[in-house]
Parts: sequence; structure tokens; C-alpha cells
Amino acid sequence: MLLEIGIALILAKLAGYALERIKQPAVIGEILAGIIIGPFIAGKFFGIEYLSPETEGIAQLGIILLLFISGLEIGIEEIKTAGKNGIITSMFDVAIAFIFGYFAGYTLGYDIKTSIAIGNIFVATSVGITVRTLMEMHALHSKVGELILTVAVLDDLLGIIILSFTLGQGEPLLLIMKVFLFFLLFIIAVFVIIRIKDIKVHVPRLILTSAISFALIFSALAKSLGLAAITGAFFAGLVFSNLPQRRRINEFSRQMGEIFFIPLFFVWVGASFDFYALKDIGVLVLLFIPMALIGKIIGCSMGAKICKFNTRDAIAVGVGMMPRMEVALVVVTTEIAMGIFSETLAHQVLAATILLVIISSLLTPVLLKVVYREEKENKVEKQSG
Amino acid sequence: MELKELHEKKIKEILDEKQLWNMPILDKDASIEEVLSVLTGRDHVWIVEEKGSKKLCGVITESDILRLLAPHHLPKYVFGKRYGISLHYGTAKKAKDIMHKQLIKCSLEDKVGEVLARMVNTRVRRLPVVEKDEIVGEITVHYILQILLGKR
Repeated sequence: MLLEIGIALILAKLAGYALERIKQPAVIGEILAGIIIGPFIAGKFFGIEYLSPETEGIAQLGIILLLFISGLEIGIEEIKTAGKNGIITSMFDVAIAFIFGYFAGYTLGYDIKTSIAIGNIFVATSVGITVRTLMEMHALHSKVGELILTVAVLDDLLGIIILSFTLGQGEPLLLIMKVFLFFLLFIIAVFVIIRIKDIKVHVPRLILTSAISFALIFSALAKSLGLAAITGAFFAGLVFSNLPQRRRINEFSRQMGEIFFIPLFFVWVGASFDFYALKDIGVLVLLFIPMALIGKIIGCSMGAKICKFNTRDAIAVGVGMMPRMEVALVVVTTEIAMGIFSETLAHQVLAATILLVIISSLLTPVLLKVVYREEKENKVEKQSG
Repeated sequence: MELKELHEKKIKEILDEKQLWNMPILDKDASIEEVLSVLTGRDHVWIVEEKGSKKLCGVITESDILRLLAPHHLPKYVFGKRYGISLHYGTAKKAKDIMHKQLIKCSLEDKVGEVLARMVNTRVRRLPVVEKDEIVGEITVHYILQILLGKR
């Protein structure tokens, strides 16, 4: 196991760096590293067995850290100041994306729970690639850029809330009570942590250890209430986002996560990629990927249009919200671990999500440049006319 | 003054009331140019709710500006708004866009030793002295050294 992890870490780093050099997300490189070290390449030719309960355990910790960092960086303050346009657009964005996912599953003949699970995968956006593209176009400060950044804040939050309700286990009424109890505990934690932040105890790195410990305990608590562990991790991050030590906790969590646990999660995702799943994946992919992309464009564009954005700006917001990355992969692996998909379907949905991540990352910069360039050209023509 | 003796003193015993007049303070709607201008001579600026108010709501330090001045680099995993804030790309417009909202503070009743330990534990070099949410002074490493060496 030590050898496998050692090789996986350095492969992930190099592949991530190589992808960044060609202006693609490092996450894709880490997944590719996983495919290389997985059963179909290194497993077949060098007898390396990367997939094991130990590497799965490390990947699970990577997921918890990733969602904890997400909650920490999104932050309660930022959510409070999202504004009307952000709230309206993100609500349309999340609702339409979810419905499109559900509908894709329903059309393919899957049961309600499987269709809902696909809906959840469609919800979370990753704006890293969009932010990078808008920066290159010097358009991050524009109305479109600002709305995309705001919607990204609410997108993950709403996605996690929907996931809590739709994937929670138990009778509906009991589940609502459990979700309610979880959020009550979250609110209590927010208030308690504000009160205890000034306690004058000087134990070195106490706050850092407490933060990681709380993330794990809150994840376990969410799981014991029948919700997903990632819900707990995300909300634990939000709790600690209220502390003056937020930046230090964030730096520490990022260091711990980025160096070891999170790359190994993406490597594990790549290693779980089943090439045999590709031969039966045709219809799923044909519906899954276009529906995931179009759902976001329609949802966000509708929301932005209601917020009085012109049609092209509204479409640009939708295109900017298309990429799926970290959270979509976390959601799909969580759903697989919860046993929502049959074994064959699990491999197919994971493969389809990885393809969605790659295709949306490649497509978004190109489409965004087309939509936004035309918009800018129109403005120049109007001004000169 | 002996260091041990200084540790036992309360902040109100060492704080110079006139200090407030010379502290770098701007309101949260101050332009980024005003922030940069203050930081040409100081290594931090306290941010208050509005002009003339003392209600503290944030701080901007030299290291925050260093991040904004350096070529923009996105991390591997991007969440929320934070990494979209940039001088080069025009998204950092006002003080409130870049300030730290969650502050590590001290009060007039705190002992100097406690405040220094807090600074070490939280890795900050300056703390605002706050009473009823209003800034009444600041404790910096320089200030403590001046007291210790009898220069104040």
C-alpha cells in the first residue's frame, strides 16, 4: 500500500501540473493519474493493486476535507451578502439542473431514487475554469463575472441542502425531522463557537486540531442522522468560517488536503474508472452530458433574465456555470458508496460523470469566449452606431 | 520595565489615548486607491463601518496587498468568491472587497501577557483594542517594544 500511495501522489502531482500547463484543471490530471495507476494500466502490466480499503479510506478523508474547505471558503458572511440577483439566479440554476438530471434518469428508465441521484450530480458547479477564462478575457469584473461568482457561492450550499433531503435515509416525515435536527445543531454550533472563540486557553494549534476534529465529528453526526457525511463536512466548514482564525484554519486544511488527501481522492476516482463500462455507456452519455450542460445554461439564463440581464449576458452566465468538477465527483462517489446505483450502473454513472467533467472543462472556455465576444462586439457596434 | 512586570499590566495601563488620532483607519466603502495610499506608509489599515464612525468591521494588512500585487494564481480547487478578487482584473474595488471581516481583538481589561500569547498563537503582529465594538487603540509589536524600552 505504501508503494502504491507513494507512486500515486507523485503521478498525481506531475499529471496535475502537466494539465495546468495546458490551461486545464489539475483535477483532470489527478484523475488521469488514477486511471494510469488503476487496474487497467498499472494493475494489468505491473501487478499494482491500487484499489483497496485503505486507499478508499484515505479518499473518504479527502472528500471530508474538500467539503470542509468548500464550506470554510464559501463562508456564512458571503452567503448573507449574496444579494437578490445571486439568490434568484442560483435558485433557478439549481432547480432546473436538478430537474434535467432527474428527467435524464427517468427517460433512461431508472427508478425515482436513481433519477434523483443523477439530479444531484447535475447541481454542483465548479467555477474555477470559468474564473480563469473570464480573467483571460478581462471580464471578471463585469456584471456577468460578478453574478457567476455570487451564484457559485450559493450553488454548493443549495446543492448540499437538496442532497440532504433527497438522499437522506428513512421515512419522509422522520427524514424531515432529522434534517431539521441537523440544521438546528448547525445553528447551535455557529452560536456556541462565537461564544467560545475568546476563551483564553493557550494550547498550541488547538484551534486547528479542533477544526479538523469538528469536521469529522459533524460528518459522522450527519451520517448517523441518515444524511450524507459530506453534508456534515460542508456545514462544519461554514461553522468555522465565522471565526477570526478562519484564514489560518483554511491554510492548514488546504495544506493537509492538497498535499495528500484530496489528490488521492481524485486518484481513487480515476482508478475506479472502469473501461468495460464504456461499451454500454452510449445512450447514458448521449443523454447525461447534454442534459447536464443544457440544464445549467437554461436554469442560470432564466434566473439572470429575470434579474434583467440582456439575453446574451444571461446565456453567458449559464455557459459560465456549466463546468462540473470537485463537488460533482464527490456527490457521485458518495451516492455510489450509499449503494444507490447497482454495481454496473455505478461504473457507468462514474464514467459518465468523469466524461462530463472533462467535456464541460474543455467546452466552457470556448463557448464563453464565443458568447462573450459577440456580446462585446455588439456593444462596440451600438456605441459607434 | 521588566518583561514579567509588563506581562501583568492591563492594556488600559499602557495604552496611549492620543494613539487613536494617528491610527490608520478607513471606512469600508473607501476606494482601493485610498487603501493602497494608506499602505504606502503603514503596514495595515483598520476598516470601520462608515466615515467618522469607530465601529470596527475589518482589517487589511500588507500581506493581503502582497497577494493582490503578485501575479494572480488560482489554486487547484476553487470555491466561492474569494479567488476572484484581484487588483489586476478589477474585482477589488473597495476596502470591503478585500478586508478580513473576522478579527482577532483585545480589550482594555486584557493583560499584556495574554495579548502577546494571543498574537503568537494566531500569528498576527497587531491587535485592535475594542470596547463595545468600537476601536479605541491598537497593540503592535513595535508599541510593546517601545513600552518595554521606556520610549513611551
